[in-house]
Amino acid sequence: MTLKRSPWIIHYDGSSCNGCDIEVLACLTPVFDVERLGIINTGNPKHADIFVITGSINEQNKDVVLNIYHQMPEPKVVVAVGICASSGGIFAECYNVAGGVGKIIPVDVYVLGCAARPEAIIDGIIKGVGILDEKRKKLISIHKGFEELVIQQADAFDAVEILWLQKLANQSEAELYHDFSFAPLLQTLDQVWEDFEKQVFLKAVIDKKIVGSIRAYQEGDLCRMSRLIIHPVYQGLGIAKRLLASVENMFPQARRLEIAVSHRNKRLIYFYKKLGYQLSRREKVTEKVDRLFFEKTVAEKDHD
Amino acid sequence: MTTLFLALIYFLAAPLVGAFLAGVDRKLTSRLQGRVGPPLWQPVFDVMKLLEKENLVVRRSQNFYIVYYLILVIFTGGLFFTGKDMLLVIFALTLASIFFVLAGYKASSPYSFIGAQRELLQIVAYEPAVLLAAIGFYMATGTFNVAAIAQTPRMLVLVLPGIFLSFLYILAIKMRKSPFDLSTSHHAHQELVKGITTEFSGQTLAMIEIAHWYETVFVLGMVYLFFAKSIAIGLIATVMVYFLIIFVDNAFARVKWELALASSWIVAFIFGAGNIVWLFVLGRSS
Repeated sequence: MTLKRSPWIIHYDGSSCNGCDIEVLACLTPVFDVERLGIINTGNPKHADIFVITGSINEQNKDVVLNIYHQMPEPKVVVAVGICASSGGIFAECYNVAGGVGKIIPVDVYVLGCAARPEAIIDGIIKGVGILDEKRKKLISIHKGFEELVIQQADAFDAVEILWLQKLANQSEAELYHDFSFAPLLQTLDQVWEDFEKQVFLKAVIDKKIVGSIRAYQEGDLCRMSRLIIHPVYQGLGIAKRLLASVENMFPQARRLEIAVSHRNKRLIYFYKKLGYQLSRREKVTEKVDRLFFEKTVAEKDHD
Repeated sequence: MTTLFLALIYFLAAPLVGAFLAGVDRKLTSRLQGRVGPPLWQPVFDVMKLLEKENLVVRRSQNFYIVYYLILVIFTGGLFFTGKDMLLVIFALTLASIFFVLAGYKASSPYSFIGAQRELLQIVAYEPAVLLAAIGFYMATGTFNVAAIAQTPRMLVLVLPGIFLSFLYILAIKMRKSPFDLSTSHHAHQELVKGITTEFSGQTLAMIEIAHWYETVFVLGMVYLFFAKSIAIGLIATVMVYFLIIFVDNAFARVKWELALASSWIVAFIFGAGNIVWLFVLGRSS
């Protein structure tokens, strides 16, 4: 509820004529005074709730917008202000313009106009506040008890969604190391289908949407797991832990569980260690990347 | 027993009073700028919202320093309002600020580095005036005990006008107000991003905000001590000082750190130390 009364915005102006930019600032003036709604213009993504973006996305500001977006704490909302931020506007045809904000980050509210009027912008932000509250409720419901979360075996029909999720989830790591050539990002749909023939896929589903996935197969008494994927918004909520536990239950004959991780992914390494996995071997993948294999021995279960 | 009771009242009431004062500040500032301004309890809404947000960190340990900062700020005020030793109050306050600075350094971002360095400079700037205030209270009343100082039959501001002036001067630093809001500011949302608080979000930022409420109440308590002889005059003077700070905040631009440091030292040494020398001479002649 309080989220509604204190939306802090961060404003970024992409490639535009600055018309909308000026109108956003006009909202802060005594005439419109958005502070009466509790809205503050912060310059800091880590303090912001709403990302107000004007102007289109081009090759130069793409990274900046992504960076700001990823630095904002959840729950967050993106409001695209003006026709340029919505579709690229008159700049859409330019050789260096990618288009609207929606091309690179999910947009929740589009405010149209050229330039958008301050009244329309305030309206858009208020609409965004409503969505912010919905997102918060969703986050809380996921935190509480996981009543919505179901873990099921996936079939080939889910391949497209899982592949999309795989690329989304690995994006931030790729950005972090400026290496867009690593395997999860390059995998094609045909390859995923091939995986489906050999491996068991599990999916974590919330509200009919796949938010996490893992695949595994057994080889002797060893269960090999790979491609643990969690949607960025749903990371850190214990979904990965439940996926791993489900794999364990699916292969009751397996005595050992194995999973691989890139040596740079310290967070994931910490996570596996906490779950009782131990480093078993190290493999060189490329010049810069090593792959670490973590293994866990499972105690014999009583089957009576 | 009464000490414990007083401490409990302070612990519960100080954040409410602090939040109310912060709300009044924002409302008044808006009116001075010709705006309607946010609701009176907006600072509370802000903090409640921050408690619901995700807590992003650069390093996990940065948040522990903020926890210590909050605890020490509460401890400082607790010592003060239960009438304990003035020197201990000041040392606890300094330690609290140091933990805040450490948190800024720990976050290892250029913005919070600059903020932390500026915060250190501000500590250096206000420390002489605060220490001189403690010495002045001792010279005027013969005790460092806050409870005893509050019960002095004399109006202390009449004995310590220079000390009061130098304390008033550094009040803007402690309240993070213009012209001395160098390390982090209420208004400068785009300058050096947000100074020392740049890398804090969610619950931790809420803690900083709450610590700031406690700090405001403590600092105003210090102001009240100068007028402690009469409760009515004391309250009126404290409120007037608060309005003065808000007015100055809106009327003046931020100064550079050199000027902030030099001017607060000069004021502290001319008026503060001058006041003490005067008391010393007076004590000798009588």
